[in-house]
Amino acid sequence: MAKIKIYSTPTCPYCVTLKEFLKERDIAFEDANVAQDAQAREEMIHKSGQMGVPVIDIDGEIIIGFDREKISKILKI
Amino acid sequence: MLYDLIIIGGGPAGVAAGIYAARQNLNTLLIAKSFGGQMTRKSVDIENYPGFEKISGLDLMQKFEKHLRKNKIDIEIDSVSKVEKVSGGFYVSATSGKQFQSKAVIVTSGADPRPLEVPGEKEFIGKGVSYCTACDGPLFGDKEVAVVGGGNSGFEAAISLHSYAKKVYILEFSPQIKADEINQKLAQKYDIEVITNAAIKEIKGKDFVDSVIYQDRKSQKLITLNVQGVFVEIGSQPATSFAKDLVEFSEKDEIKIDPKNNMTKTPGLFAAGDVTDVRWKQIVIAAGEGCKAALSAYEYIINHG
Ligand SMILES: Cc1cc2nc3c(=O)[nH]c(=O)nc-3n(C[C@H](O)[C@H](O)[C@H](O)COP(=O)(O)OP(=O)(O)OC[C@H]3O[C@@H](n4cnc5c(N)ncnc54)[C@H](O)[C@@H]3O)c2cc1C
Repeated sequence: MAKIKIYSTPTCPYCVTLKEFLKERDIAFEDANVAQDAQAREEMIHKSGQMGVPVIDIDGEIIIGFDREKISKILKI
Repeated sequence: MLYDLIIIGGGPAGVAAGIYAARQNLNTLLIAKSFGGQMTRKSVDIENYPGFEKISGLDLMQKFEKHLRKNKIDIEIDSVSKVEKVSGGFYVSATSGKQFQSKAVIVTSGADPRPLEVPGEKEFIGKGVSYCTACDGPLFGDKEVAVVGGGNSGFEAAISLHSYAKKVYILEFSPQIKADEINQKLAQKYDIEVITNAAIKEIKGKDFVDSVIYQDRKSQKLITLNVQGVFVEIGSQPATSFAKDLVEFSEKDEIKIDPKNNMTKTPGLFAAGDVTDVRWKQIVIAAGEGCKAALSAYEYIINHG
């Protein structure tokens, strides 16, 4: 199974939509709250080169925003 | 499959329309980029939606979505790219490539944030430039930030930012501030620096924003503010690109509707909420308009279906 990490804030609608999207499909992920976790925030900015949430890391592949098509393609869902 | 009704949008107008359409037993599809719409951009609690004295935009959005999903309705998370009139109804195409067909359509696509249209703005989106304080604000812990726009949205953004950022400015183009007294008082209390007569000229930086340049409209001088975040709160523009040929527009680019039944100039094509020329833009109004549009669409389908 793919290793998935999501960088999100609790107040961002697309973060909620993204997590719901994965949950509905029974896909497990780690969720880092970058509003609180400064280290995760730096990690996200470093990986994605930007400061917008959500960012999703699927086995090292970085996707910025809730890009449904790209995520579906990588996860083959 | 031929649907009775396709609703475009998942904000208050679309959700209310969806609930009413489903309860009228219309075979309905709702297509939305995401749920919630503009209320999820609200950076402080909502305090004027009846039944909820104080609720965050995100919580209210989740309640709307949950209520909608209790009903018998198909839902697609997708972005509509085109609506076409064909005999017997409409074709609705989405950016995923999917196409749907229905007898009637309700457009509730609301409004998108209005951009500043200055150099540097586009390049730095996600790199310091943001249109959603509620989403991105928490990433600016200990940074200096500027909010552009001195209306209520701008003040609310600044007030929410003050709990993360080291320093918050509000830059307003006009000589006067139009935000409510309450918001102005709070801003004062939180040491938010309000600068009026400021015309934004450029957003600068290397990899990320490091400054914003504005012209003081009185002295004509160019002034550089060192900030790492620029939050744009200068209003919104209706999201109508997919329906251009089928509707008439007001001088503000809103879809013109018959206020009695929410019909556009194309029979069977309805619109509701902030995307229309309805006089006031509020959650309770958008929800009411969505309801009106659904009941009108029901009547239309019964008479023409
Ligand atoms: C910062 C801010 C604060 C506010 N505060 C308040 C307040 O305190 N109280 C209040 O009553 N009102 C408030 N408002 C106004 C209120 O949010 C709006 O009036 C209301 O959200 C309008 O609802 P709507 O359904 O018409 O549109 P929107 O809320 O804009 O929803 C539009 C929906 O359409 C979707 N969409 C757009 N384009 C497409 C497409 N091409 N394909 C598919 N889907 C699409 C969007 O994803 C979204 O789901 C505020 C607005 C802002 C911006």
